[in-house]
Amino acid sequence: MQAQEPLTILIAEDSAADRLLLSTIVRRQGHEVLTAANGAEALEVFRRQTPHLVLMDAMMPVMDGFEAARQIKVLAGETLVPIIFLTSLTESEALARCLEAGGDDFLAKPYNQVILAAKIKAMDRLRRLQATVLQQRDLIAKHHDYLLNEQRVAKAVFDKVAHSGCLSAPNIRYLQSPYALFNGDLLLAAYTPAGDMHVLLGDFTGHGLPAAVGAMPLAEVFYGMTAKGYGLAETLREMNAKLKRILPVDMFCCATMLCLSFQRRTVEVWNGGMPDGYLHRIATGERLPLAARHLPLGVLSPQAFDDRTEVQAMAVGDRVFLLSDGVIDTTDADDRLFGVERLQQLFAANREPDNLFAEIEQALHAFRGEPRDDVSMVEISLLEATQVVPSTPVYSDSGQSCPLDWSVSFEFRGATLKRFNPLPYLLQLLQEVHGLRTQGGAIYSVLAELYSNALEHGVLGLDSSLKRDAAGFASYYQQRNARLEALQDGYVRVHLQVKPQGAGGCLVIRVEDSGKGFDVARVMERPLDDVRLSGRGVSLIRQLGHNASWSDEGRSACVEFFWEVKA
Amino acid sequence: MTDQHVDREVLDALREVMEDSYPDLLDTFLTDSESRLHQLQKTADAKVLAEVAHSFKGSASNMGAVRLATLCQELEADAKGKSPAEIVKLVADISSEFADVRPIYEDERQHALTH
Amino acid sequence: MSVVTEVSPDGQKLTISVKGRFDFGRHQEFRESYERLNRKPDSIVVDLKDATYLDSSALGMLLLLRDHAGGDNSDVRVVNSNSDVRKILAISNFDKLFDIS
Repeated sequence: MQAQEPLTILIAEDSAADRLLLSTIVRRQGHEVLTAANGAEALEVFRRQTPHLVLMDAMMPVMDGFEAARQIKVLAGETLVPIIFLTSLTESEALARCLEAGGDDFLAKPYNQVILAAKIKAMDRLRRLQATVLQQRDLIAKHHDYLLNEQRVAKAVFDKVAHSGCLSAPNIRYLQSPYALFNGDLLLAAYTPAGDMHVLLGDFTGHGLPAAVGAMPLAEVFYGMTAKGYGLAETLREMNAKLKRILPVDMFCCATMLCLSFQRRTVEVWNGGMPDGYLHRIATGERLPLAARHLPLGVLSPQAFDDRTEVQAMAVGDRVFLLSDGVIDTTDADDRLFGVERLQQLFAANREPDNLFAEIEQALHAFRGEPRDDVSMVEISLLEATQVVPSTPVYSDSGQSCPLDWSVSFEFRGATLKRFNPLPYLLQLLQEVHGLRTQGGAIYSVLAELYSNALEHGVLGLDSSLKRDAAGFASYYQQRNARLEALQDGYVRVHLQVKPQGAGGCLVIRVEDSGKGFDVARVMERPLDDVRLSGRGVSLIRQLGHNASWSDEGRSACVEFFWEVKA
Repeated sequence: MTDQHVDREVLDALREVMEDSYPDLLDTFLTDSESRLHQLQKTADAKVLAEVAHSFKGSASNMGAVRLATLCQELEADAKGKSPAEIVKLVADISSEFADVRPIYEDERQHALTH
Repeated sequence: MSVVTEVSPDGQKLTISVKGRFDFGRHQEFRESYERLNRKPDSIVVDLKDATYLDSSALGMLLLLRDHAGGDNSDVRVVNSNSDVRKILAISNFDKLFDIS
């Protein structure tokens, strides 16, 4: 049996002999004894000395035991100070009074030492239990405060990373709770050097810091690669590989990623595990679902990852609408789901596209009554290319040592064409020439156009006239993916030459392919501002660059850029 | 064999617990009891009688004075209901009982001091 | 118990049945159902006949199971899903990793 720890025990008893007897008994049991002869004294002693336990006579002059007990319990507050009533009261009503007054037990006279010792022990156990509970409660509260603070810090760091994007662009409208991050919801948007827009709506598994922690590396990859000019497929592959590497097996990120091109009037889509997005065609009113065809990010190994995207044509004013599953999963008081049907009804009832967002928000609020903090929605409209003004990147070097007289040639063959996108690298190279930096967007667009023409029409032999309508469009891209997959031979050559000229310089870009070529004269005859879905590439090149020309039956394209150094 | 006035086993237990303070305890009891007796004889207030009797009963039982305790219990239980004459009789009985047991405690005290 | 296991007499096939809500609360039980076996089964069947609901943590648990059973070399089947569960599995494209019926 465990030895009893010594306690400080207050004995409140008006009979001197009884008080003396009890004190001696309790002292002999190893405890320190305080005494009082009436209730008022007992209170005074309690206030001053805060004993662990009180033995209280019920009948005392000045203030009786019941009143003293009540007041001591109030003074003790949260702490448990057990009170054992000393009584020769036998009637059950009197005993009930003891308990009502806050007594925890009673001891009958004549005092029995063995029983007293046992009761003291039992009461002490209770007292220590209460103390442990309070201690743990305080510890938990403290830890909770730490956690909240950590989350605040994490959110501040993340906000810095996340806001290097362009969510405030005029063609983007979005709804997201400030604490969305801690529910795993992520919304990123950034311009590519060509002026296209990448958007990602993601939903990490889990909640709190584990969900938020995956978002940062993902955002860094997204922004870094988008800024360098990497396309959707490469960026997705990199994000998937990163998450697969750093996240535990059971964590992943559902995501929909888009590339919206104002120049080409297309949207390229990849959806891994997110609810359907919708492409709203204003002219027909049609809402095309953009369904998930892939596993979420972070599940498959890099070898197994599927980066195939779908491309849809868009007209100016068309919108793409994405939402997280917080919308569909919103429940009402009876646990019914908002569901896809209700969303479809809202779509059907919507008359003014600009009001759709607000209508959905209102419907959700009316349905549930209180807002959920994991509802994320984003709507991206296709504007005229001229209305889009990406911000110019900032460089940190001084420009004293940039290369002004050089040339380089690349030949990308067969299997490399399948997996490697040389454009970001080439652009990076050209950014070394300071004079070209302000035209980075135009140069990238032209390079991208030349390269894709060389690859798609040249090497893969795809017929651009397929892209005349929406159905043909989809078919074109399916064919593109199939032929690229099967590609064995063929090449695309890129020659870059930079030469000083006058007060500035000149960049000559030549791109050649191993394809069959095309009827250059016929294509050149088309007016420059043609807005058909196909054939815009050539117009673009002629508009953005200088002295565009085609030779070798269309297999070789050449275009120039000039710059002048301002005084 | 237990004395019908004082339970010897209780005294033995008390002696064992109190050790050197045993005489003090006996002294205190005797002094307290005298004062209580005095109060009982002086007052006519039923409430006061009950309270004092209750208190006296408590220490009497702790000290093994079983008959004394019983008498006090009687007084406590019925102080209100009894006639002044009955109360006077009970108090006299208590006084007499105390006079009987007093020598026993004094003896104990003497014995403890000299051994 | 909301997770019930059954091993075939020859020890080759493990069947894990999940009843009620398949969510984060089932995490411990689910893991224990396949981690504690003396012999790794050749095939595993997850029976969702009595499962009413599946969330992303359940998807995570399936991934853990698959990883434990050999990843790309595993044979894990998810059977008897009701239409709600099926829908969730379809959106997340988990039929690319598991045989779902």
